[in-house]
Amino acid sequence: MRDVYVIGAGQTPYGAFPERSYRDLFAEAYAEARDAVDRPVDPADVDEAVVGTLGVGGRQLGLPGPAVTEHVGLHGVPCSRIENACAAGGSAVRQGIQAIRSGHADVVLAGGFEAMTDASADATKYWLGVSGETEWERLTGTTFSGVYAQMASAYFDAYDASADDLAHVAVKNHTNGSKNPKAHLDFECSLEDARDAPEVAAPLNLYHCCPTSDGAAVAFLAAGDVVDEYTDERVRIAGAGAASDHVGLAQRDRYTAIDASETAAETAYDRADVGPDDLDVAEVHDCFAIAELLAYEDLGFCDRGEAATLLREGVTDPDGELPVNTSGGLKSKGHPIGATGVGQVVELFEQLTGRAGDRQLDDPRLGLAHNVGGSGGAAVVHVFEQEGVVR
Amino acid sequence: MTGVEGVGAYAPAYRIDAETVADAWGQFQAAGISQTSVPDANEDALTMAYEAGTRALAAAGREGREVDGLFLGTTTPSVEEEALTPRLGSTLGLPTDIETRQQTGSTRAGVDALAAALDAASNDGRGTAGTESVYLVVASDAPRGAPDDRIEHAGGAGAAALVIGPAGPGAVVDRAERVSPRPGTRFRQRGSAETTGLGITEYDRDAFRETVGAAAEALDVELGSDRSDVDAVAVQSPNGKLPYRAAGAIGVDTDAIRTGTTVHDLGDTGAASPLLGLASALADGNQNVVVIGFGSGAGATALLIDGEDVPVRTALNGDQELSYAEYLRIRGEITTGEPEGGGAYVSVPSWTRTIPQRHRLVAGRCEECGALGFPPSGACPRCGTLDEYDTVELPGTGTVQAVTEIGQGGAPPEFTEEQARSGPYVSAIVELDGPAADETETASMPAQVITVGDDAVEIGDGVMATIRRIYTQEGVTRYGTKFRLSGD
Repeated sequence: MRDVYVIGAGQTPYGAFPERSYRDLFAEAYAEARDAVDRPVDPADVDEAVVGTLGVGGRQLGLPGPAVTEHVGLHGVPCSRIENACAAGGSAVRQGIQAIRSGHADVVLAGGFEAMTDASADATKYWLGVSGETEWERLTGTTFSGVYAQMASAYFDAYDASADDLAHVAVKNHTNGSKNPKAHLDFECSLEDARDAPEVAAPLNLYHCCPTSDGAAVAFLAAGDVVDEYTDERVRIAGAGAASDHVGLAQRDRYTAIDASETAAETAYDRADVGPDDLDVAEVHDCFAIAELLAYEDLGFCDRGEAATLLREGVTDPDGELPVNTSGGLKSKGHPIGATGVGQVVELFEQLTGRAGDRQLDDPRLGLAHNVGGSGGAAVVHVFEQEGVVR
Repeated sequence: MTGVEGVGAYAPAYRIDAETVADAWGQFQAAGISQTSVPDANEDALTMAYEAGTRALAAAGREGREVDGLFLGTTTPSVEEEALTPRLGSTLGLPTDIETRQQTGSTRAGVDALAAALDAASNDGRGTAGTESVYLVVASDAPRGAPDDRIEHAGGAGAAALVIGPAGPGAVVDRAERVSPRPGTRFRQRGSAETTGLGITEYDRDAFRETVGAAAEALDVELGSDRSDVDAVAVQSPNGKLPYRAAGAIGVDTDAIRTGTTVHDLGDTGAASPLLGLASALADGNQNVVVIGFGSGAGATALLIDGEDVPVRTALNGDQELSYAEYLRIRGEITTGEPEGGGAYVSVPSWTRTIPQRHRLVAGRCEECGALGFPPSGACPRCGTLDEYDTVELPGTGTVQAVTEIGQGGAPPEFTEEQARSGPYVSAIVELDGPAADETETASMPAQVITVGDDAVEIGDGVMATIRRIYTQEGVTRYGTKFRLSGD
């Protein structure tokens, strides 16, 4: 099977830019990603483009892929949009890998975008619920905050954890995001702020929830046989895994875990021939603080019920054994839905190539990206390995 | 002989005190009423009819499938045109080959629904069914007026239901009707949600006394000379005084009137008023009850019911007091309706396809492995066998497995109006008990759990299914299952 490398990745700042169009955002991410490649990627080199977006706001629900690739001059390139709710970006990366491995492409653009902040609060809440199970779950009056809150209730009932731990997740990720110039909510928050915020869906309060953001991210992937043409730095996609599950939470076997994440991670570890203990850094899908705790367990960072302990002991802090969400995560960096999964790749690319600025970890070699769609109806996990510099 | 097999009654949990209204307006315009019952934001004539109907069936020991006719009376159907009875019948598990009648247009509609059912029963006109037929009569109402109107001050909410059938211990001994052309006492213009009246005191009283008295007098009983035979008179009670003004015309003393009315505690329950009075009187152990429905226009229908040994199930003791601001909110007087931004779209045909699940929790048992599937479509949740389910109806009891309370700001657009009216709501995953008592199989569904006051819903709590409004889209109100705490 052909090896696949990330040769460059870049993104816009995440934030609220209601005056900017989705095409404009995508163009900036495209330029950033091209700049991140050591030697130029000519538009004619791109064999395939895969673009992730949910389509929040209803803008260009059909053909959003070509709408952005043509905008940046990728004329004629085979382009598809992929929709997998909040896992659209990770799924776009996965499709890019498959295009290269199948031999259809040598160089792939895997990108994602979302424009979310130009809509009214009510319209936004409508869109935030469209990836829940519509006929039953949504009609109990929930959007995702409600469904993740239900998971939190079950988790707190089963294990030693509380809303205080959720507040700790927020504090950690805001601390990380405050060092990220691309972060949407780039401020630190105190434990009191995170504890006493207004309730959204009990037990979740505002600080346990990620923001809605505008943004775009692009990664260029290349086959092992052409990677030399573009870069001397070797960030290989060592393993890829994905899984799906019932869209509605009630239909699942358990509510204290996201089985799709667990399965996707097992596959990715297996393909990469590594285990969670080998990881140096991870970007996990913390759309809600409870999701980060579930991710620790689903991804094998700790045993079931031990996530809060892992967090409390500082293992996932930047100076811990396994720093998680050095970018600030969805919580602080922001969550432009279609861009998020690709943005995780940007952070890992930067960490693994020493470009992460104030957030830079000490020579990480192995990183993991974890991207979840909905409340766990889809999950994508990638393991990235820094193989060193080849000259 | 057709008789009364069972009686059920229901009133919402919320109350507003006359004093609270008086504090807000400087006066309370509904004399003789101490408090009124107020429907929750997701209650209406259909959901209250379900509550009363299901209790009447349980009292009578009847299953919904045994019912041959459904007769509904209400002045406040959720839509002016379009029958509620097919959906009400569906929620109660009634067959589809039944007679249905919906009476509306005056507060006499509830008693008239009973009269129509008695006609159907005595007609023996259905050949195979005949006098063995079982009829469910439901009167359900929630009258509204303008906030400063006496009709709003008096307006309550509730429902009463009777099962009429061959096994009834109770009997309808006689009935009579009288009309008199007297317009203007109480009316509602087309397109309006607010009932009003001219408020001509003596004229209104005369219309009431004349028709009610004449109908009562026409009953084949000597009410005046042998009133000891009449334990209660359940006469239409638009306020707390008018029924007593008619005591003389009916030929009873005021004790009989008091025994037969719920107006003091529930307010004016419109078309449900006389039958709620009957239910209340029977529940208190009374036997002979004169029921008199009055409607503007004007007309009265009177029946003498021998209610000896009739089983009754009532839920009339709500006590969750509202402030006046809360009252305005829950009534929807000061909320702004569904915002722009769109709601979860479920087309009416696709909703209709799932009505057995939404109304009656019809699940499926996998023919391969015996697992329960809800809704019963697609692959079996355990073994993956595709669409091979035997239909099973779940009992409607269950246990909370996961729960959240959606606070302000957390509700999607189609639920913001409900939240504005009722406050934060509880959304849960409920593990539904299987059909058999010794069943170990369960199925889980997402659902709201209704809370009142300080109710807290926790994992492990037992819940029971009921019917409430889910939401309204494209002008069509969708009714479905919500749960209440079993302790309620």
